Amino acid sequence: MIKEDKRFISEQGEVLMLGNEAVVRGCLEAGVSYAAQYPGTPTSDIGETFQKILREQPDLRKYLIHHWAINEAVASSECAGAAWTGCRVLNPMKHVGLNVASDALSVIALNGPNPGAMVILVGADPGSLGSHQEQNERFYIWMFHFPCLEPHTPQECKDYTKLAFELSEKYDTVIELRTSTRSAHSRGYVKLNPIKKGLSIGNFERNIPKFNSLPPHAINNHIRLYERIEKIREEIPNLNINRLIPGENSTGIITSGMSFGYTLEALAQLGLFDVPVLKLGMIYPLNHEEITDFLAPLKNVVIIEELEPFLEVKISEIAHKHNLEIEIIGEEFFPKYNEYSTGLVASCLAKIFQKRPEEQMTTSVEIFNSYKDKIPSRFPTFCAGCPERATLYSILKTTNNMENTVICGDIGCFVMSFFPPQECSDLIICMSGGLSAAIGISEKTEQKVIAFIGDSTFLHTGMSPLAEAANYNSNVLLFIFENSWTAMTGHQPVLGLTEKKLSIEKICDAIGVNWLKIEDSYHPKRLMKSINQALEEKGLKVIIIKRECALQANRWRTSQIRKLKKEGKKLQEVYFHITGCQMCYECARILSCPAIRKTEVDGLETMQIDEDRCIRCEVCLRICPNNAIHKSIINALETEVHFREL
Amino acid sequence: MSYEETDIINIIIAGTAGQGVITLKRLIEFAAQKSGSDLVLGTEMHGLAQREGAIVSHTRYQMKSYQNPRKNLQSPLICYGDADLFICLEPVEALRRGIFSSKKTTFVLNERTIPGVMITADLEEYPSLNEIEEILKKSSEEIYFINATQLSLDKFDTNQNMNIIMLGVAIATGKLPFIKTEHYEQVIHEWLRDPDNNVQALQLGIENGKQLMRKEHV
Repeated sequence: MIKEDKRFISEQGEVLMLGNEAVVRGCLEAGVSYAAQYPGTPTSDIGETFQKILREQPDLRKYLIHHWAINEAVASSECAGAAWTGCRVLNPMKHVGLNVASDALSVIALNGPNPGAMVILVGADPGSLGSHQEQNERFYIWMFHFPCLEPHTPQECKDYTKLAFELSEKYDTVIELRTSTRSAHSRGYVKLNPIKKGLSIGNFERNIPKFNSLPPHAINNHIRLYERIEKIREEIPNLNINRLIPGENSTGIITSGMSFGYTLEALAQLGLFDVPVLKLGMIYPLNHEEITDFLAPLKNVVIIEELEPFLEVKISEIAHKHNLEIEIIGEEFFPKYNEYSTGLVASCLAKIFQKRPEEQMTTSVEIFNSYKDKIPSRFPTFCAGCPERATLYSILKTTNNMENTVICGDIGCFVMSFFPPQECSDLIICMSGGLSAAIGISEKTEQKVIAFIGDSTFLHTGMSPLAEAANYNSNVLLFIFENSWTAMTGHQPVLGLTEKKLSIEKICDAIGVNWLKIEDSYHPKRLMKSINQALEEKGLKVIIIKRECALQANRWRTSQIRKLKKEGKKLQEVYFHITGCQMCYECARILSCPAIRKTEVDGLETMQIDEDRCIRCEVCLRICPNNAIHKSIINALETEVHFREL
Repeated sequence: MSYEETDIINIIIAGTAGQGVITLKRLIEFAAQKSGSDLVLGTEMHGLAQREGAIVSHTRYQMKSYQNPRKNLQSPLICYGDADLFICLEPVEALRRGIFSSKKTTFVLNERTIPGVMITADLEEYPSLNEIEEILKKSSEEIYFINATQLSLDKFDTNQNMNIIMLGVAIATGKLPFIKTEHYEQVIHEWLRDPDNNVQALQLGIENGKQLMRKEHV
C-alpha cells in the first residue's frame, strides 16, 4: 500500500482524482493556509484529504491548518478570522450546512475577506443522495452576493478553486465554489502544477469600518459589496470560464456544472450535433453582454439546471431587459426535483426537439419498468451490532411498540430509524431539531415524548435546546447516543469527546439535568428498566447510551486480534448457533439485525446467524425469548478480546 | 464484440455497502489510466449509502478522444441501456440497476446473496437466482454467475478478496478492452493492502472466468 499519496506531492504530471481531491489539490497550488468545516456529505472527504496530507507530510503543518469545527457557523467565522490575518482560507460545507453558516456568512460577505481570501465550498445534493433533503441552496448566492463558480470535471474543480482564490483576494469578496454529490465524487484526470506554501504567520490590522458591519458601516459595506460584484461581472469575459460550443440550430442551450455533461451526451443520443451550447462556469453574477450575444441569433433557449429555476430566472430577466424576442424553455419540461442524468435530459430534450431517443435507451427503460416493482427493497439501515439499533429495540419493548409515544428523531445514523421494520422515528427536522420539537410537543400533549440526539450533534447545536428543556423541566426523555464518532459521515472525531477532553454527563449536569443515567444498549434488560423508570417520572430525563460505533469497535477489536495473534498469543474464539428456534422474529423484526436470516435446516424453518457479518455484540442472545441462541467458546481459558470501553 | 479506440466503455458496478464496490471501481480507473486512455470518468457513492445500503458505481473510459467534444465522454453517469459490462457483487442489485442494461450488456454476478432487513424479517421475498437470470435475460444474453465469495473463503479464508475475484471474472469476458492484466497488477501493488493475495485473487478470477466462458459457449 502507498506510504504517501504522491498526487498531493508531485509538481507536475496528470493524475486521477475525485472532484473533492482536486479541490484540495487546488488549495495546495493556491497557497491555502487554513481550512475548517463540520463534516457533511458530499464535503467530508475534503477534510479527510487535508488530514491525510498533514499526517503524511508533517512539515506542511507550519503552513496549513485544517480544523474539524464544532458546527458550520463556527467554521465560517474561524475561517473569516484567519482570512483577516492575511490567509487564503477554504470553508467547505454541505448544502444544509449553509443554513447553519448563513448567519455568520451574511456579515462576512459584507466585510469582505481581505487582506486574505475566503472561498466557501458548498456541496449541493440534488437527489438527496447523502442528505435528509435536497434544498436548492443557490438562492443564498443572490441573498449574500457570493460570486459562484460551478465545476463539471475534477480538472475544473482544481482550476476553479485556484481562480476563486484569485478573485476573492483581488475583489475582497467571498467566492462560492459549488459542487454537487456527483461532481464531488466523480473521478477524472487532473493536470498538476507547482504547489505554493501558505502563509505561516499572519497579522490582524485594525480596520473598524471594514470589520464592524453595523450602522453606518453596514450600509457602506453593502454599497461596497455591490461595487465589487459589478467589477467581477465586467471581468467575466476575460476569465475564460464560460465555454461556447457553437452550432447552427435556432434553439440553443444554457447550462452549467454536471448538467453540461448530461446535456452534451443527451444531444449525442438524440443525434443533435448542431445545437449551440453555452456552459456557464460562473453562475453568478452573469455578464449581460455575453448572454445577449448568445441569445441574439436564437429563436428558443433551453435552460438545463438541476432543482428550481435559478439560471432561468436571471436569463429571463436579461432577455426582458434587453428586449430580446426569444422563448425561454426550462421548468415546464424539466423536473424541479431529484438528480438529473443523461437519460433524463435526453427524454426531456426529445420532447422539446420532437426527436425519438435511441431504441437502446427506450427499450431498456420499458423492460426495467416491467419488473422494477418486484425488486426487494434495500434501504440503508443500522449495521450489525449497532448500539443505536439495540436502543430502539429496548424503546419498542418498553413503550409497547410506541403506544401513546412520540419519538422525535434527529440527524445522525438514527435518521434511519423511520425505515421498517423498526419504524420508530416520528419526525425529523434538522441538527438538534428533534429535542427542540420535543419541548413543544411535551408542553401540549399527555403523550410520552422521547427525543434522540447523537454526540456530535449534541456538541454542534444540541446543548442550547437541552438548556431550554432543563429550564422548563420539559417532560421529555432524551437519549444521547455517545458512540464517540461522527459516524454517518465516515467517522470523523467528535471534537473533544473522541480525545476524551470533555464529558457529556458533566455538560448535562452543568446545564441542570437532574435525572441522568448512563446505559449500555448491549444490555437490554438493564436499559429497559431505566427507560421504564424514566417514563414514569415527569420532567426532563436524559439517558446517555455509551457504546462505541459498531463499525469502529469491530475494526479496533479485529486489529487487536490480528496483533495478538501475530505475537503468538492464543485467543478465545466465540461462536453463536441457533437451535430450537420458534420463529418468533424477535431478533429479525424487532431488533431487526441484518446478520440474522431465515433458512431451512432439515425441512424446518429456523433463523441463522451469518458468521461473517455478525460482530458478536450478543444482543440477540440476550433478548431471545426462547433461549434459542447459544454461545460457545473455544479455548475458554485463553485471552478474551473485548470491545473497548468508552 | 470488438471495440474501437474511440468507443466509450461503460461499466456498472453494483453491490451492497462494505463489499468493495468503490475499491473495484478505482482499480479499473487507475488501470485504465495505466493503459493510456485519453478520458476516464466515474462516480461513486459516499455517506448515507454506506449503512447496509445498495451501492452503485459508474465508471467509463475512452482510449482516444475526438476533437469534437460532442462525441466524447462528458458525464460520469451512464445513459439508460448503455452499460457494456455489469459487475454485480450481490445478485439482486443487478435488477435494481437494470435500467442501465441492454442487448449489448454482459453481466457477471456473484452468487452470494445479502438479504436486506425486510428479507431477514421475512416481510419481503428475495427472488431465486434463476428468477434473477430470467429477468436479466429479457434485455441481455450474456449472463454469468459465479460464487466468488465462496472462492474467496476457500482460497483466502476471508470474503475480503471477493471483489478482486469478480474483477478477474469481468476481465475474462473481454468487456474491459485495452486494459492489460499487468495494468491491474501494477495498480494493485500501488494501492492495495496485501497485494500478493490480491494479485492471486485476480488470477483466480480470470481462470474461473475463462472456464465459465468456455462452458457457456460449448
